[in-house]
Amino acid sequence: MNRKVIRDAAGQALSWFASSLTIAVCFGIIAYLFVKGSAQINLDFIITEPNPTVNQAMSGGISTPIVGTFLLTVIGTIIAFPIALATSIYLAEYAKKNMVSSLFRTGIDVLAGVPTIVIAIFGLAVFSNPQLGVFSSMVEGVKGANRAFGRSFLICGISMAVMILPFVIKTCEEAIKAVPKAYMEGSLAMGASKWHSITRIVLPAANSGIITGVILGMGRIIGDTAIVWLTLGGTLRMTGIQPWWSPINWISTLRNTGSTLTSFIFFASPAGEGNQPEKAFGASFVLIIIIILLNFVTELIARSRKTVKEE
Amino acid sequence: MMEVLEARQSSAANNEKIINIQNLSVWYGANQALANVNLDIQKNSITAFIGPSGCGKTTLLRCLNRMNDLIPGFSRSGTIRIDGEDIYSVRDVKSIRRKVGMVFQQPNPFPATIYDNMQLPIRENLDQTDRKKTREIIIDKLKSAYLYEEISQRLNKSALRLSGGQQQRLCIARALTIEPEIILFDEPCSALDPISTMKIEDLLLGLKERYTIVIVTHNLEQARRIADYVAFFYQGRIEEQGSFMEIFTSPNSKLTRDYIRGVF
Repeated sequence: MNRKVIRDAAGQALSWFASSLTIAVCFGIIAYLFVKGSAQINLDFIITEPNPTVNQAMSGGISTPIVGTFLLTVIGTIIAFPIALATSIYLAEYAKKNMVSSLFRTGIDVLAGVPTIVIAIFGLAVFSNPQLGVFSSMVEGVKGANRAFGRSFLICGISMAVMILPFVIKTCEEAIKAVPKAYMEGSLAMGASKWHSITRIVLPAANSGIITGVILGMGRIIGDTAIVWLTLGGTLRMTGIQPWWSPINWISTLRNTGSTLTSFIFFASPAGEGNQPEKAFGASFVLIIIIILLNFVTELIARSRKTVKEE
Repeated sequence: MMEVLEARQSSAANNEKIINIQNLSVWYGANQALANVNLDIQKNSITAFIGPSGCGKTTLLRCLNRMNDLIPGFSRSGTIRIDGEDIYSVRDVKSIRRKVGMVFQQPNPFPATIYDNMQLPIRENLDQTDRKKTREIIIDKLKSAYLYEEISQRLNKSALRLSGGQQQRLCIARALTIEPEIILFDEPCSALDPISTMKIEDLLLGLKERYTIVIVTHNLEQARRIADYVAFFYQGRIEEQGSFMEIFTSPNSKLTRDYIRGVF
């Protein structure tokens, strides 16, 4: 009897300890970044463009990295979402249990396991082909070279989309499968077509799960460094036709290089050029805040859906 | 009481056959669920399928609107004709399902407002874009389902907020929107309380004037109260079928007698 009680208590204590450790690490990171980086945060920091210089006072802020992160997130999501949604609809509603669908699922699982650096190298290799020069710019001034530069916002965005595709497919598929079969049956029994039933009834019911999946995918894009480092070109500023924010120049901006918060952190830290460690911490802090906000939004959506369902 | 019984008998006798089932056998994979079923369903009547669990009542019901097609491993032999047309030769299954509506055991309103629940099938099936006309149809069907007075003030609230009985009546109203000829009911009251059950039984008695009703029920009292015709299923076959008077007062088979008396 005594041994059972001890075992119970020990089990509980161990679980508590493990959770506390995890939370301590998480809060520790946030606290450390806060301490080191919050001094940097002011309006100037956010809206000034970075300057590559040793002089700390003139090294500017992180405006273009922030814009870069934002651009990549948008491009990656716009490309990945329709494909992922269509795939998940197919897998959840149309695919039968046969070899072909098993192959699909295996392929998606494998893609999920590919390291991001490999996706990055793959993207770089593919888009260096001169035929795909439209996505970036052509290499000029080098004798005998007929290659595309292979690095740009477009290319990085496409690679990001490839990275998050398996993840968004999985979460959308789960969301669709979680919709009670009764809704589909009820709709079909009234003579509606399968497609109509899926789009008008099942998908709206799976809304919150799908949106959560997309937002979490965005979170992964925001946090990725390997793909950015290899396929975005690592320039502190936008290198398209200036001014880069003018709508006529948007295509040029997208076809040229830039940086994101993650690549800026790497660049500014001792691992990179090492010039601006304080700025690196400032950027890290901004990045963490963005991620926390994103998770907060996801939580809000999940809660709002619960209350609607209970209505 | 006798007048009601006589009225039921005479109205039942005069009707034409709308469904004709011949030599129907059904398998789910290797399991045979129905064997050589022969049955006619009369128009504008209530036909009840009764029998112990797992003996094929729901299987036959779901064949009538081809919902069994959705079940993997389903195969059948024999024919089902509705209005003279073999439903398994029809190219477009959706046309069958528009003619033959279904109400399920668990109420399944869509997670939307009451109005949207009614509107969706109208918009999809009737190609109805006129908002005024759509609204008229919706109100009319909600009235036909004896639901309108209770919810007229909250058409824009979620259908999931309604009570079980109200949800089931909503599902019935929703099935009515596309004006089917036949409506199938798969134990519609088994998840409901007695008062809701009573309301729905009243509703069915009213509906049979315009529609043909086939109902699967475990509740013998219910069959006694509303059925014009009864088919008693036992282990995948129809043990006995006939008018409700024949089955309930003078059944031919001992099995039927035992079942009616509640022996099993």
